[in-house]
Amino acid sequence: MSRLVEIAVSGELLARARAGEAAARQALYVALAPATHALIRRLVGQRALAEDLFQDTMMTFYERLPQFRQEAPVGAWLRQIAVSRCLMYLRSPWKRARLCLEPVDCGVAAEVAALITPGYSGELIDLERALASLAPTARAIVWMYEVEGYSHQEIAHAFGRSVSFSKSQLARAHLRLRTWLQPQEHPPSCTLI
Amino acid sequence: MHPDLDPQRSGLARLLRELPESAAAPYGYREFEQRALARAHQEHGHAGGRRLAVAAVLFLAALAVLLRLNGTPHTAPHGLGAAEVRGAPGLDPEDAPAPSAGTAERWLASLPSEPAMVRVGTRAAVMGLEDRIAQVDDLLTATGDAGSAPERLRALQQERSRLVGTLVQVRYAQTLANASP
Repeated sequence: MSRLVEIAVSGELLARARAGEAAARQALYVALAPATHALIRRLVGQRALAEDLFQDTMMTFYERLPQFRQEAPVGAWLRQIAVSRCLMYLRSPWKRARLCLEPVDCGVAAEVAALITPGYSGELIDLERALASLAPTARAIVWMYEVEGYSHQEIAHAFGRSVSFSKSQLARAHLRLRTWLQPQEHPPSCTLI
Repeated sequence: MHPDLDPQRSGLARLLRELPESAAAPYGYREFEQRALARAHQEHGHAGGRRLAVAAVLFLAALAVLLRLNGTPHTAPHGLGAAEVRGAPGLDPEDAPAPSAGTAERWLASLPSEPAMVRVGTRAAVMGLEDRIAQVDDLLTATGDAGSAPERLRALQQERSRLVGTLVQVRYAQTLANASP
């Protein structure tokens, strides 16, 4: 389960924030922003881009807050906004063109280093490296399926693709992650799948 | 295979869920508000830029029309009043304007003669075009009355159609610009 979905926010705080009370809006930000940013960072990888999308997501969240009817937890609603923003970026022709032009190298190392904290075990460091080696779409699908609990149908719908697209991307990503995590003399290169 | 039935796969999923998350937002609420404000200003600037782009397109269209008009030889005879062009003697049915020309003229007639917002660049172009069309109308009538060569009548008809087409483009651009926020 996602940590964002699990965050409990009182109805009273939400009501005050909806009414535009600055202190309540700030309290909501303090409660929800870290998990929102963490999720976006996982979906898109790059730190600068994640900050941009995070800002966009939180702005949309506050803009639409008066329309929020509390039919679902506020974290789930915010997660929907964040995922939708990230996928919109990943699906955009501009992003695809940029991926085609960018040289494939091991430049992800810096991004991985920024994520790793002293609490990481060797296995988790390897996993971070393996995740960073995946193509953005494959990484997003792995995260949505394994951590956020999305079904293949939901992922297919979100990406505007078929269910088999989601399944095949996930299977290939798993294969690659396992290859990374298996002990071997020469680790695989950072080639995107 | 269901993920839970695949030990390797479920192990991977467990590891993924164990990955630590950063405990802080990238910046505080105050910084977030400042960035939101800056973005709003930026978007406002983009809207202004769009208006500027529409104005630039209109200006260029007007300039192109004026240049085109200045390049055409001015052959209107003096002393001839405005006459009814339709049904002028000597006109072959084949020389009649294309159906689209009639549609274009009806559309032009439906527009207000004085637009609510007057743009100097397009105003000059529209007046110039209307003058030219009136001159060609005079010429057509005079040529028809004199029973001149059908080639000349055809050339005048073509010139008139071209001018009407250009006028339609300018008025249409003007209508779009007036409709834009």
